[in-house]
Amino acid sequence: MKCEEVAQLLPDYLQGGAAAEQAAGVREHIVECASCQADVDMWQRLGTLPDQQPGTALRSRFDALLQSYQEGRWEKANLAKEHGKFLDLHALAYWIRTPAVSVAWAAVLVLCGFFAGRYLDRDTNSAQQVAAMRQELKTTQQLMVLSMLQQQSASERLQGVSFSMQEHNADPKILEALLHTLRYDNSVDVRLASLDVLSHYGNRPDVHSGLIDALQAQQSPMVQVALIDVLVQLHRPDTLDHFKQLQQSPTLDPTVRKRLDWGIQQLS
Amino acid sequence: MTNAMSDEELMAQVRGGVGEMLGALFERYHVALFNFFYKLTGERSTSEDLVQEVFLRILKYRHSYRPDTGFRAWMYQIARNARVDLLRRRHPEVSWEPEMSGSFQPDDLAQENQQAALLHAALLRLPEEKREVLVLSRFQDLKYEQIAEIIGCELSTVKVKVHRALQELRDIFQKLETGKLPSKTGLKGAGIRPGSGSLQ
Repeated sequence: MKCEEVAQLLPDYLQGGAAAEQAAGVREHIVECASCQADVDMWQRLGTLPDQQPGTALRSRFDALLQSYQEGRWEKANLAKEHGKFLDLHALAYWIRTPAVSVAWAAVLVLCGFFAGRYLDRDTNSAQQVAAMRQELKTTQQLMVLSMLQQQSASERLQGVSFSMQEHNADPKILEALLHTLRYDNSVDVRLASLDVLSHYGNRPDVHSGLIDALQAQQSPMVQVALIDVLVQLHRPDTLDHFKQLQQSPTLDPTVRKRLDWGIQQLS
Repeated sequence: MTNAMSDEELMAQVRGGVGEMLGALFERYHVALFNFFYKLTGERSTSEDLVQEVFLRILKYRHSYRPDTGFRAWMYQIARNARVDLLRRRHPEVSWEPEMSGSFQPDDLAQENQQAALLHAALLRLPEEKREVLVLSRFQDLKYEQIAEIIGCELSTVKVKVHRALQELRDIFQKLETGKLPSKTGLKGAGIRPGSGSLQ
């Protein structure tokens, strides 16, 4: 038998479904053919992959599913979903749990606290207290931005980035988070948006060196090109060396290389 | 009593509204389904979620089950769809093609012994379509005819796919073993590698 004939019979042979005569032919062939033998070995080796046991939570989740089905709740829940009832309690609960709503809710509470405090303290209201309140508000805003940048969904992270722009005085923690987003966020849009915000603070040494680092670590050509543009605009003296260094990289995308050449021209 | 009943009889009862019969089907298949997903994804919690999703869909779509068709083939069709839907939800920006390569190693594999982990890592590097056909034929105790029904193609195509998948797996495994491929890539938890080379 030749390899081509064996190839046709092999799948059946492996599952034990080949006729006796054909199986004998395959066995005869693989004694002499190392390649076909290796296929058979691989199949057998695959069989050694151990089976895993699922966690106990799986069973309890299934039991809960079955119970809700039997009590008829399941049908109702599905029916409500299919009819697209807007003010469904579950939908409402889900909506309240979404990060954007939680953030808005937190902001409302802080504002309420602020005004309630002002109202109660109106006799002893001093400039110092107002300053303390402002500081608190600022910290809350900061926390909001930081938590939004951690969200699963890219659009929520994007909201976080644009929210950070409302802060006029750059906070180092937020800038640090934005630099992290610029480097590691898996959405190109979010990375570009954070670069946009960061470009306003490019004159700060920590941001500037963060941008340079990001350029070297960046995988996406689009973000790299945008970074080059921002760095050229900032026109800081040490940028040129870094550009030249990056130019040496053999794996550089051609579009990026072109832009880099242009950047070096601008800076030198 | 349920022990003596065939899958198809049980499912016919479920279809008729006797929900507790689904419990018997769960007993029969939840471990197999879990291992099906785990071999394909290498992620324990994802696999558990998917098993739950399969049984939920069995209930939801019970009326579409035709009693004259094999239950297992139907169940694996649901399982496949559940997985594809999950991948689409996770990566809406990537058009989900079965040729997409896995090429990552989740942390859960660290719990397996070294040889098994390497083998599993090689399996996860196979393109989707090949990995699936291999897992179905090697581990799920399905005949090629049933697999053809599940994935909706000709019997001969399934056999060719199994053989090619095996050859490719052999190649990847060899490279992993000799260190020509890193056993772990940077895309931890990403699950798939979006189409590279484009200006993104």
